[in-house]
Amino acid sequence: MSLHLHELRKHYGATRAVDGVTLELDERETLALLGPSGCGKSTLLRLVAGLEAPDAGHLSLDGSDITQLPPQRRRFGMVFQDYALFPHLDVGQNVAFGLVELRWERAAQRERVGELLELVGLAGLERRRVQQLSGGQQQRVALARALAPRPEVLLLDEPLSNLDQTLREALKDELSGLLSSLPVRAVYVTHDQSEAFTIARRVAVMKSGRLAQVGTREEVLEHPRTGWLAHFLGHRNVFEAADLARVPGAPQRGPALLRSDLTRVLPAADGGGGTDAVVRGVARDGLRWKLRLALPDWGIELAWEGYDRELPGAPTEGQQLRLHVPAEAWQELDGA
Amino acid sequence: MRPNALGALLGVAASAFLAVFFLYPLAVILARSFTDGGAPAQVASNPYYWQRLGFTAGQALLSTVLTVALGLPGALLFARYDFRGKRFLNAAFTIPFVMPTVVAGIGFLALFGPRGLSGLDLRNTLLLVLLAHVFYNYAIVVRVVGGFLEGAAPRLLEAASTLGAGSWRATLRVSLPLAMPALLAAATLVFLFCFTSFGVILILAPTPRLATLEVEIYQLTAHLLELGPAAVLAVAQLVLVGLVTLVYTRAQARLALALPAYRSALPRPRGAARLALGLQLLLAAALILSPLAALAVGALQGAGGSFPSFANLAAALRPSGVLGFASLGLALRNSLLFASLSTLLALLIGFAVAYAVVRGRWAALDPLSLLPLATSPVTLGFGYLLAFPALVAHPWGIPIAHALIAFPFVARSLLPALRGLDPTLNAAAASLGTGPLRILGRVELPQLRSALLTAASFAFAVSMGEFGATLLLVRPRYATLPVAIYDRLGRPGPQHYGAALALALVLMLVTGAVMLLLQRRGRSEF
Repeated sequence: MSLHLHELRKHYGATRAVDGVTLELDERETLALLGPSGCGKSTLLRLVAGLEAPDAGHLSLDGSDITQLPPQRRRFGMVFQDYALFPHLDVGQNVAFGLVELRWERAAQRERVGELLELVGLAGLERRRVQQLSGGQQQRVALARALAPRPEVLLLDEPLSNLDQTLREALKDELSGLLSSLPVRAVYVTHDQSEAFTIARRVAVMKSGRLAQVGTREEVLEHPRTGWLAHFLGHRNVFEAADLARVPGAPQRGPALLRSDLTRVLPAADGGGGTDAVVRGVARDGLRWKLRLALPDWGIELAWEGYDRELPGAPTEGQQLRLHVPAEAWQELDGA
Repeated sequence: MRPNALGALLGVAASAFLAVFFLYPLAVILARSFTDGGAPAQVASNPYYWQRLGFTAGQALLSTVLTVALGLPGALLFARYDFRGKRFLNAAFTIPFVMPTVVAGIGFLALFGPRGLSGLDLRNTLLLVLLAHVFYNYAIVVRVVGGFLEGAAPRLLEAASTLGAGSWRATLRVSLPLAMPALLAAATLVFLFCFTSFGVILILAPTPRLATLEVEIYQLTAHLLELGPAAVLAVAQLVLVGLVTLVYTRAQARLALALPAYRSALPRPRGAARLALGLQLLLAAALILSPLAALAVGALQGAGGSFPSFANLAAALRPSGVLGFASLGLALRNSLLFASLSTLLALLIGFAVAYAVVRGRWAALDPLSLLPLATSPVTLGFGYLLAFPALVAHPWGIPIAHALIAFPFVARSLLPALRGLDPTLNAAAASLGTGPLRILGRVELPQLRSALLTAASFAFAVSMGEFGATLLLVRPRYATLPVAIYDRLGRPGPQHYGAALALALVLMLVTGAVMLLLQRRGRSEF
């Protein structure tokens, strides 16, 4: 019982928007499709929805091929980035739109609409015009509308990107709880990794039309496969093999990632462990310190972040420290 | 922004002009309709006039229904799909807007007239009138409705499809309800245009059976000299048109949905949609191009059917002393002269109105500038006859009337452009020591160049093609191309018909060339 994408391809002229994507989605699973803008993730979602026809490859749901099925017969719910609410219908009519197509009884429609508006926290707003809603409310209506006909798969295309920061944070958590509580599999497209990792347990990272890595959020976050992935996921310390010649314990064959979150800063006097480190730059991000540390013995510089308690006092430029780097902090990357 | 003295001044000037050359003539008509002993009663008790009213409304309604029926599928397809040649077609759709009535009229005559290319003589039939009305208005429906839907419909239709609505269901449940306000707007416009139809009827169906109120007013004024009944009919028509306009603006305000514009590329049509679109395009091309092509072919056809022949052109060039027709040379010179003068005048008034509305405290001029659009040209010409008899033989009579008919287009084009100007630029110029007049010249006008050129091209086209008012105000010496064409049509004999075709071809080419030239230059600004 699964949604299966097999070698999907979609080209626009010379642009390979989706360039051979194979992916499987299990029942009740939420998958985040994460990637920078222009990586083809929205196109991939549109292929799954049936809004675009693939140039090659196929798509099957629970064993039957649906590649040629038009969107209206797939029963895939979609939440659009710009909501796409029908301006000529009120909130209730918007949510009931798919139920009308399924020829539901009036009373059943009304009940289902009420149930969904309750679910998304808009109970009682059936008669409201959609133009009178705030962006966040419109987003909730779009979600309720997509969920109402009990879709096989729920597709969400950057659903929070048009909202302001505060609202996005709040809705992100809410959506995460909602999706994990509902018996629906979902594909959540986003360029924002915090959204991806909050909402989905499994994450597929996309780059230039291909999947760069697919795995649980821990796998992807802690063990990015390539230098590009490490950079994209916010790791700052990626080194080429040539830079690491003087570093004991570092992988020697290819590029490597140094996970600064696994390192420990020690006072200079502490002779016990680690290597010499000199503070080259000090900045703050809220309560967190952001330091640039030069390691003269190893011939490299790295970015380090942490709170007060992880430091032997307030850091200053030029300050001498020592840095303890356990072996597991080094991770070898694929040379790509 | 602070209202400035220049704006206030221009407001006074524009108001004065409108009061003298628009409101006063209308007031004179109104007065005449009451003072002419018993004219209202005479008109009201005559079943013939009621018949005319019934026919006018009936044919307008029929034309509207036909136009919407033909244009709506095109509009829906246009809003939904992208295809090769769409931009070209959109440009081609402006042709009926700017082509003089006389040109299209003659074009249909060349197709379906007594000597028409089709061999089918539909002159003096309602069918031909309806056909011409559809020619004029098909593009209105496609552009107004299609343009309204284009930004939003594709994305909303996608949403509908993910919710289980196929193509037909989505059209029924999404496109049509969304299009309703625009459709209503377009239909009202079409109705109003057809209600006051004049040139089309005069050329294609010159029979009392098919006369509209507008034609009736003209006949009463120009041929029967029954000015009292003419005034009553003019007032009745004005009131009816005003009422429809009022209902329409009310409905608009209530129905108006600001459709969100989504960033999404339109798909190319596939399958059945492709076929439907192809048929629509064929229909549009046939409708728009065939009368114009027939006109060109007819104009260049010799007596024995030889082609190409310049016999018709030669006939048009000859001044015909006995019959008093204007030669091609004279009519062309008059038309170009009047069009230049009235364009200049329309630009001045239009600019004054727009500037006074935006920069002075003259917001009331905004709706007022729309009124001349709702006033029929024949009514205006009639009003001039009554109010300024001296203007009739005067060379300025026609340009002033044309300018008045054309200036709403100028004001409509300049108003949004002026409102869109960044006020900080004026502040910046002022802080650099530039006075209001110099700001106008050095900062504002250069930014308005494109809008001014577009406005000028429309004003020019309006004047070149204007028929109703001109026909009432003209004297042989000042005959314009449309008048010269109409004069020849009214005479029996193939040579006059041929010459009319040749004149119409020249009018079509000159109008087209000027539009192309001005709009090109207007666009290239960006």
